[in-house]
Order: sequence, then structure tokens, then C-alpha cells
Amino acid sequence: MIVAGIDVGSLTAKCVLLKDGELVAYKVIKVSPNLEETADKVFGEALEEAGINKGNIERIVATGYGRNKVSFADRTVTEISCHAKGALFFIPTARTVIDIGGQDSKVISIENGKVAEFVMNDKCAAGTGRFLEVMASALHLKIEDLGDVAERANRATKISSTCTVFAESEVISHLASGERVEDIVAGIHEAIASRIAAMARRVKVEPDVVLTGGVAKNKAMKKALERELGMEVKIPAEPQIVGAVGAALFAMS
Amino acid sequence: MNIGYLCTYTPKELIDAAGFTPVRIFAGDDQISLATAYIQSYACSQARGSFERALKGELDVQAVVFTRCCDTLMRLADIWERNTDMKVYNLEFPSRIDEESKDYYFRELQDFVNILKEWGGDVTVDSLRESLKLYWELEEKLKKLFEVKPDYEAAKKVQEMNVRDAIEFVDRRLRKVEKSGVGPKVLITGSVCPFLEVYKLFEEAGLLLKDDICTGTRFFTYNTPLKEIESVEDGLRFLVEKYFNKAPCPTKHFPNDDRFNYILELAKDCDGVVFLLLKFCEPHFYDYPQLKEKLEEMGKKVLLLELEFPIASYEQLRTRIEAFYEVIA
Repeated sequence: MIVAGIDVGSLTAKCVLLKDGELVAYKVIKVSPNLEETADKVFGEALEEAGINKGNIERIVATGYGRNKVSFADRTVTEISCHAKGALFFIPTARTVIDIGGQDSKVISIENGKVAEFVMNDKCAAGTGRFLEVMASALHLKIEDLGDVAERANRATKISSTCTVFAESEVISHLASGERVEDIVAGIHEAIASRIAAMARRVKVEPDVVLTGGVAKNKAMKKALERELGMEVKIPAEPQIVGAVGAALFAMS
Repeated sequence: MNIGYLCTYTPKELIDAAGFTPVRIFAGDDQISLATAYIQSYACSQARGSFERALKGELDVQAVVFTRCCDTLMRLADIWERNTDMKVYNLEFPSRIDEESKDYYFRELQDFVNILKEWGGDVTVDSLRESLKLYWELEEKLKKLFEVKPDYEAAKKVQEMNVRDAIEFVDRRLRKVEKSGVGPKVLITGSVCPFLEVYKLFEEAGLLLKDDICTGTRFFTYNTPLKEIESVEDGLRFLVEKYFNKAPCPTKHFPNDDRFNYILELAKDCDGVVFLLLKFCEPHFYDYPQLKEKLEEMGKKVLLLELEFPIASYEQLRTRIEAFYEVIA
């Protein structure tokens, strides 16, 4: 049986194809303002990659903020349930899932393979991928290089503003006062980690902790979170498609 | 004359008996802008949003009665008095709900009757008898309506109407109402929520509702049966009993933990509890950790939704509510 999971998030759309429970293909593309078109496109590209015909897909489940715009999906499941299921697919011992998405972040606690409790932050960009993007652009760095830059820090500069816009001004004033870019970048990672940890403490944080979302590819972020939470943080093989994998798994049942 | 009020501890019966119409004041749909010059942004958006409407001239009320339930409402009364043309009166509803404070509240009601007289409204034994009976009738009918199916639109609308029109309105709803379907049931608890879309999100997610919301069930849940009165004083004594025994709110102190017991009892037949809390609402937020713990001990799933009026993004709320459905279904 071949099924598809489509996760239309705020910045990227992901499509995953599973054949008999095995990952056969996936695709990640940028989201355009036309969510329906985006969903269609990412689905088409994933099919092409796998060399599978649309007609062979048995069921499609959509998730993410744009889930209700995926008109060809058989049903929708929220990203909370999908991230939990997807995280368990990659790391069966997962008890806590921290997802840092493009413009929200969430912490999900899992009990007996099911979502027990969750908290979400989507009111503000602090503690999201967007925060990193803004800081990277203020420092003229590429977002994918941020982690490596942070690794070269001697110490972490304290970033105390909670608001992304004010934090950007703060970063600029640190530059003006002669702080090293590496230290500032390390400080940025700590600021996000501390915000995420504060939110995570509202649910039970139990090992194994799994970090998902595009930001999980950043090694410095993983380390900052580990320091803040005082426990190891595991990263799935493909952290960005965890929600889509979860959706595809729901499509199987 | 229309007399505005914000809190369900306001004795609407006296206002009606004096020949005025009590009108509940809700926050509006527009972004809060004018009120920002008078109230700090860390006051709740119900207070700021209500005052915004007053400043914009959207309210057809000529006087406002405050019950001084929380710090914000107390200060709002002062701000309202200084910055609008409306008459403002502070009715001191006791914080401590016990036998000793009954006499105090009785005297407060006597003072309020005199104020209503100054404003040109006479409370007589006949007018008070009628108002007590009408509100009792309205409350019973709303209870009946909510038993069949919660109707938050009706609950909101009747709070802005004369009680006589309100009764007719609920009668019409009762003739049309159909029983809710099946699905997991949640208790929603919190202060006020006049934004009807929020309730719709729950229904659309497949959840059946029961509530402890000040603009919902707490508006009509009083536990004192109607009594025949012989004098205005009799009527005031009855109102003391009625308001002391109403569905409790966290702004009050009850010697026997009435508030917690009330919530835990309501939650018994529910699959989950959603705290629909208004950002910066201290009375509700201080209760939240303990209540959550007690509800979880009962085996209930709990979700906290923080609201700010006007509600900017319903889709974000929808995701949380649908996810909660997936957790409890």
C-alpha cells in the first residue's frame, strides 16, 4: 500500500510517500501564498521523484497550518498528532517532541505512543526558525552556517530581549560595542534554547527528547537545548519531514 | 436609560425594577487603539476593549455600574468616570462570600437603590417583584435551552436586551433548538468570551460543549428558587441570597472552596477541560495550576488557550482545539 503525507507549514511544504510503511520518497519546497497550488506542486514532485502514478496512492493525509487547503487529501490531522507519530517512527523511544518550525514552536509529551499534552507558541517569533533567519540576516550570515559559527564562540553573549525585533537591535548594539560575531551567534542560540525550555517545562519533559523541524539540522541548537534541559536531545534522520511522515502514517490506518 | 455593566455579580434585577435596562458591555471587534492612552497594555483586553467601545461612542449606555471584582475592573471604574460622560457607580460586592458579609452586601444594595432613585428610577415592591420574576424566568429558560444544546449566540444577545425581549428571544430559540449530536465532551472554563467564533471552532472540531464562562452559563446559573416578597427590603435580602449562591467566580473567596468544587463537579462527565483564559486575567490564572492538577488527578485532559480580544488568528486556535480533540477522542 502506498500512502502520502503532506505537511503544509508556514515556510515550507513537505510531501512524504510511504510504501508498506517504508519511506520511498520525500520533497520539501517553499510555500507560496497560494497554499492549494503549493500542496499540488509538492505532491507532484514527490510522485515524480518516486516514479509513482497519482492513481497508485491509496490515501492522502494533510497536516500543518495549510492542511485545510489540501483539497485532494482524504482527511486532515493536526501537526501536533503528526509530529508525535512521525517522531516515534524515527525514534520509537521518544517521550518528548520539541518542534521548532518556521513561525511557531511546540512541545509535545507522549505517553503510551499517544499525545498526552502539548504547548504551542505562535504568538511571537522568539523561539522559532524565523528568529534565526532575522539574526542571520542582521549578521550577514547564511542560516545554514549559523550552527558552525556558534561552535567557534569563546563565550555566549547574553541576548536579553524576548522580542525578535528588539533582539535584532540588541545584536546590532553588541556588534557596535565590539563583541565577536561568533559569541553573539552563540548567544542567539542560547536565547532560543532558553525560550523553548521555558515552554517545555509547562509539560513534562522526559527522555528521550526529540528535536524536529528545519532548525534541528543546526548542531549548535541541539547542544544549546541539551545544556538548557539538562538531557540529551535526539535528532531524527530527516528532522524537517517528521510531520509529513506522521501524516503518511495516519494515512496507513 | 440603559445602564451598562461588565460583571455577572451586578444585580440586574434592581436596575430593571428602577425602570432602566441593564446592558452587558463586551469588548468589540476592532483593534484597541483609543483606550491605549488610558489603560496600560498589561490590563486584560476585556477591560481595554470595553473602554475602547465607550471612547468610540459605540455604547448606547448612559451609566455604568461596576462591581469591583478584580484590580483591573476597580481601576477601570475610575478611568471610565474621568474620561466619559457616563454616570459611574461602584457597587462593592464583597470578596469574601460568607454569612458575615451578607449584611454588608445588603447595605450596598440599599445604597444602590438610592443611587437609582437619584438617577430617576424608583424601585417599588411591585416593580421589584416583577423584575425578580422576569429574571428568574429568563434564567430558567436559558438553562433549558443549554440543556438541549448550548447556544452562545443567544446567551450573548440576551445580555444586551431588556429582560422582557430576552425572554421572548429565548422562547423563539427553544422552539427551534435541536439536540446536539454525539462526540467527546469538553468543559470550557474562563472569564468572558463574547467572540462566538471561538465556540464554533469547538463544534467544528466535533466537540460537545459544557461551560463555566461568565458570558455563558455563569450568566444564568443562580441556585436560589424564586420567593414571594412583601417589601423592597425582602427583595434585597432575596438578592443577597441569590448572588451569594450564584455560579462562583475566582474573584471571590469561599470558605469552603466552592469555586474548585464547582469546576470539579462540572468536569465529572466531560472528557477534557479547556481553560479559555484572557491574557493578564490574574484571578483565573492564579487558580489554573492547582485546578489543572486536580483535574488531571481525576483523569481529565487539560488544555490552556490564552485569548486576547479581538481575536487575531482563529486558525491558530483551531489547530490547538483540533489537536485536543485528537488527544481525547
